[in-house]
Amino acid sequence: MARLTAETAKAMARELYGYELSDDAAAAVANAAGAMITRSRRLGNLDLSGVQPPFGYPTLLAEAERIRKRS
Amino acid sequence: MATASPLLDFDVAALGQKLRAREISPVELTAAYLDRIEAVDERVNSYITVTHDTARAMARLAEAEIAAGNWRGPFHGVPIGLKDLCYTKGILTTGGSKILGDFVPAHDSTVWARLAAAGAVLLGKLNLHEFAYGATSNNPHWGACHNPYDLSRIPGGSSGGSGAAIVARTAAATIGTDTGGSIRIPAACCGCVGLKQTWSRVSRYGVMPLSDSLDHTGPITRTARDAALMLNVIAGYDPHDATSSREPVPDYTSRLGGDLKGMRIGVIRELTTGVSAPVADAFNAALKQFGALGATVDEVSIPSFVEGAQVTMVVLMAEALEFHEQWMRERPQDYGHDVRSLIETSMTISAVNYVRAQRERNLMLAEALNALEKNAVLLAPAQAIPAPRIEDRSYDLVENMVRFTGPFNATGQPALSIPTGLSREGLPVAMQVIGKPFDEVTVLQVADAYERARGPLPQPEL
Repeated sequence: MARLTAETAKAMARELYGYELSDDAAAAVANAAGAMITRSRRLGNLDLSGVQPPFGYPTLLAEAERIRKRS
Repeated sequence: MATASPLLDFDVAALGQKLRAREISPVELTAAYLDRIEAVDERVNSYITVTHDTARAMARLAEAEIAAGNWRGPFHGVPIGLKDLCYTKGILTTGGSKILGDFVPAHDSTVWARLAAAGAVLLGKLNLHEFAYGATSNNPHWGACHNPYDLSRIPGGSSGGSGAAIVARTAAATIGTDTGGSIRIPAACCGCVGLKQTWSRVSRYGVMPLSDSLDHTGPITRTARDAALMLNVIAGYDPHDATSSREPVPDYTSRLGGDLKGMRIGVIRELTTGVSAPVADAFNAALKQFGALGATVDEVSIPSFVEGAQVTMVVLMAEALEFHEQWMRERPQDYGHDVRSLIETSMTISAVNYVRAQRERNLMLAEALNALEKNAVLLAPAQAIPAPRIEDRSYDLVENMVRFTGPFNATGQPALSIPTGLSREGLPVAMQVIGKPFDEVTVLQVADAYERARGPLPQPEL
């Protein structure tokens, strides 16, 4: 399992989200995050070459038009 | 200074007519381009691979077809180059990298397949910033590409070879790709036309990705008319690319050649600040030129564009990390320092910020559409400064370049870079013409009218 220290978990929460983790919470987050990182690495082994992500220009255009009409 | 064949003086529009009328031979034309590459490219380094035999064979075929009365269109027999990010079946396609230094694709990119079907002749594969991830084209694996106007300066990037080849006259037209400005920045640095058309207008199949939701593949050419002719060939739905648009493809040359009487044009306030004097002076002169062409020019505001480049960079870096993650684990030493550092920096972008940046794109496009409600097109400088020296590390790429181009990758609108003149140092400066989604016809109309009023730029001496 990937290892993440409580100090690292605290620093990430502080720098990325402005959130202060307690010592106990930081230890729990570090443990859970380590497991999650290990599991998510499996995604990196999937062969997704040539497969497009679900992003479409019609969606972007339609939402922009909706925002325009709302404002 | 190398002696250039007069055949190299013709743009694609002129070549198309002369080749069709058999006033010019595709074989002689291709030989002239290959000779030119031989004469100057050791200094410019615009090519990674020159496909001599393929080019000659395609030229012979074009000659025979045209002689038999089977003219395929304006690109039949026209020698072009492709950014080495575009797959070409059986031909080395490196992405400007060491990692793919011996990669030979088993199929063509759609953009090349369409140009080949239109009869274009492939001169070779063009140099670029490694994996298209940067704007200098200082390539550590294949050598730095040089600006033909001043060989000590960058041609811009990432499609640096594609821009340099146009003004060095080592290709009649080229293909580039643009994720944060990589067609428009080299076009601006090198003094040619670069068109990033609407996202999804041109298939990305067989083009190595940098950032899937921001990547565009498009023309770099001598003139707006040539860009229109090239877009006529490459635009349209592609069953290999599910994100490609099914919007009808118009004739992009349909409104070229006219004036701009009665047209309203907006200047984007947020993108006219912080530019150098040579860029500002030429941009202001261009605005006066639009007035002389019969257009009304007014300032417009798109407040979200102040941070527009940051939105683009967050999306770009997150998506680029996803593409490069496995190689970064297995072969980090095979990346150039700057690209590896960018990918490492990408590891600090949070999922929350990525999703928020994607959502912010909607707001940016909504504001841009508001600005276009009363204006046919918008204008902005293409970058803050002329091409810097290759060894210069003092300027900020995002602040001086991507700030002006990146917002239109986020909004997906068409944006075309066109030269506004040369600085006192003899370096090209440029502006962008930006349009409504899928309205490349108007963008090209405006660029063409301005270009004819501006007149030709002095050519670089090589």
